[in-house]
Amino acid sequence: MYILGMLVFSALLVLLLTAQANPQSTPQPSFEALAKQADAARSADRLDEALALYSKGVRLRPTWSDGWWSMGSILYEQDRFLEAQEAFRRFVAAAPKPGPGFAFLALCEYETRDYDGSLKHFQSWAKAGSPGNDALIDVAGFHWALLLTRESKFEPALYLLTTETRKLGVTPALTEALGLASLRMANVPEDYPPLKRELVWLAGEAAAYSARQDYSRSDEYAQRLFTRYGGEANVHFFWGTQLGFRRKLPEAAEEYKKELQISPQHVPAMVELTLAQVENRNAEEVIPVAERAITFEPKNARAHLAYGKALLVTEHLQEAAHELELAKELAPDSPLVRSALANAYLRLGRMQDAKRESEAFISLQEKEEVLAPVENKDDASKHKVRPKP
Amino acid sequence: MITGISLLMLALLVSPHQVASPGQNPGSKQSKPAHAGQKTRSFEEVAKAANEAREADRDDDAIKLYQEGLKLRPEWQEGLWYLSTLLYQKERFAEARDLLRRFVTLEPKAGPGWALLGMSEYQTRDYSRALDHLKHAMRNGWEGRKELAQSVFYFVSVLLTRFEQYDDSMTMLFAMMKSGEQPDLIVEPIGLAALHLPLLPSEVPPDRRELIGMAGQSALSIEHHNQAETERLFGAMVASYPNEPGVHFLYGAYLMDVRPEEGIREMRRELEISPSHVGARLRLAEEYIKEQKFQEALGLAEEAVKLAPETAPAHMVLGEALVGKGEAARGVAELETARNQAPESARTHWDLLRAYTSAGRSADAKREKEEIEKLSRPESQQEP
Repeated sequence: MYILGMLVFSALLVLLLTAQANPQSTPQPSFEALAKQADAARSADRLDEALALYSKGVRLRPTWSDGWWSMGSILYEQDRFLEAQEAFRRFVAAAPKPGPGFAFLALCEYETRDYDGSLKHFQSWAKAGSPGNDALIDVAGFHWALLLTRESKFEPALYLLTTETRKLGVTPALTEALGLASLRMANVPEDYPPLKRELVWLAGEAAAYSARQDYSRSDEYAQRLFTRYGGEANVHFFWGTQLGFRRKLPEAAEEYKKELQISPQHVPAMVELTLAQVENRNAEEVIPVAERAITFEPKNARAHLAYGKALLVTEHLQEAAHELELAKELAPDSPLVRSALANAYLRLGRMQDAKRESEAFISLQEKEEVLAPVENKDDASKHKVRPKP
Repeated sequence: MITGISLLMLALLVSPHQVASPGQNPGSKQSKPAHAGQKTRSFEEVAKAANEAREADRDDDAIKLYQEGLKLRPEWQEGLWYLSTLLYQKERFAEARDLLRRFVTLEPKAGPGWALLGMSEYQTRDYSRALDHLKHAMRNGWEGRKELAQSVFYFVSVLLTRFEQYDDSMTMLFAMMKSGEQPDLIVEPIGLAALHLPLLPSEVPPDRRELIGMAGQSALSIEHHNQAETERLFGAMVASYPNEPGVHFLYGAYLMDVRPEEGIREMRRELEISPSHVGARLRLAEEYIKEQKFQEALGLAEEAVKLAPETAPAHMVLGEALVGKGEAARGVAELETARNQAPESARTHWDLLRAYTSAGRSADAKREKEEIEKLSRPESQQEP
């Protein structure tokens, strides 16, 4: 309820600022009086009356964005999401800079189970620079991550959830969301099989404490996870990625191998195993694994990157450059790919090409590479949780 | 099934007189004419037909009629209520929920409205809101409707477990048991809370049911004061699940009251299995405080606070250890943190009362005494 209160407060604050910044053209006296009465009723917490007055106001002037905003905010506070959704829809259509309105619209759509609409509007919100105060950014970022998980975009979802966990601590909601994304379950918390709850909880706790760098507690939950669910798909892959973040790459590779025993067609496990073994100087043994990943997913840029890197360290320079060029075609904005390609060109003596790729790498790196693998680049991975203005 | 019982009871208990009846609202609008070619029917006629259909158990007809009535008069409270209950009965929970959100906006003091809203949200797996709204129902009361209170208590207690508020959940479940709730219904919820497993009963995997049932039976048996039976149940659980997290903690918590030295051993075993177990640290620290081994207590309490800085009992036990060791100023600071985090804890107020009194802070001590008196008044005791 605190977060809800903060959201409504922020909505009202933005309303006030918008009202100051964008004065309406000379209104009809009757409309102006109505708007004043509506604001007064809302300020006095006579919300039913305020709603009725705003409703009259927007009927008189359908482009009155402040009216739609206030209606949406009141209805949102009352959990009347279907009605609030309509008000925010009208607001974003009418307001010159809808800003946080996109986030509120997306949140309403999430609640009414219009997940596609919600995802679209979270993306609009991100494109507008993710405006809003901390409370809105936290709630919106969380729900956006839930939807990315549902869309199987697990890495950007994990990026958002990990960022929030670092900031807000380990909460039951974040744990559940992290569990779903970590186990690559394309579900929202409201629709996954109830009997998977313990599995999701244990994975979520392990992921959440890992995000907080409380590794001993993370390991404790991971141990419970293996004891109970060590034979379930994605459990070992999840733990491999966690060990990878901790730079325990030999142990990570073992986890990916275990995952491939359970899930022989698990492409992300093949790719991450290849990358880990490149770092572990065991690239030779994983070249067939990398090839198999590409057979399964020829459009997977990270698979080409992994294969290219494996070829490079095993001195198959021409083939490596070819694979990395394919990766570049699929993910031109990936600094990882450009860096590897620069390295391949350098080894081949193609100095001009190497210089070009190095420059691209430096330029892209400035945009900050995040945890998201290259094939899953999404607005979410570019989304920043911004400090309070 | 408790949801079914609750619903039926709600529908029966709330009479139409408790919500505005058709025509009672002096500001009510006149019904609009129907489409051309259709027979015009006034709101009053629709409302009467809806109530008749409901009373005759023609639920589908009643639903259509209430919907028609609400189109004519969207703020018709009686219509919102009965339509919600009918939809809930038909397991159309999302529709019931949306109507109830409108109903409680119009009737914010209606405990049963909040209760049914929370239960609808529970069914749509919106657990966070369900818990908020069921708690809201508890605050608004149920005018002596004991069965409704029991239903809400059940839902709140299982949700508290899912949100990892195990102690609060246990408190409610034991209160339910004392007020005569069927033990069968609460064995599993108690087992889940006792083992610190944040699952709803519907989320328990089949291979976990035995353990959870044993934990629940063991915990319940303590309340029945049959020591032989309690020992038998705990013994069986520990023998069957010696390496399961939570099992030794639960057994140890029981032993602390009867054979503390064995309780300590069980808690230590729990910490080997679950190194971050806050509850085991706190129970050990409490026992050491009792034995005036303040240094041992202090180390454990400090670890507990580090592991769970937002947990009031951790600060409370740390405060008790510090005060016991003679570090009164630090101890009071910890106790004040505990009080601020959980003002409803009488034990913390008692600790502070003693600490302030020792320090000669009579005004502060007086305030704590008043708080204790306030907490012990009957109206602050919630019962199902």
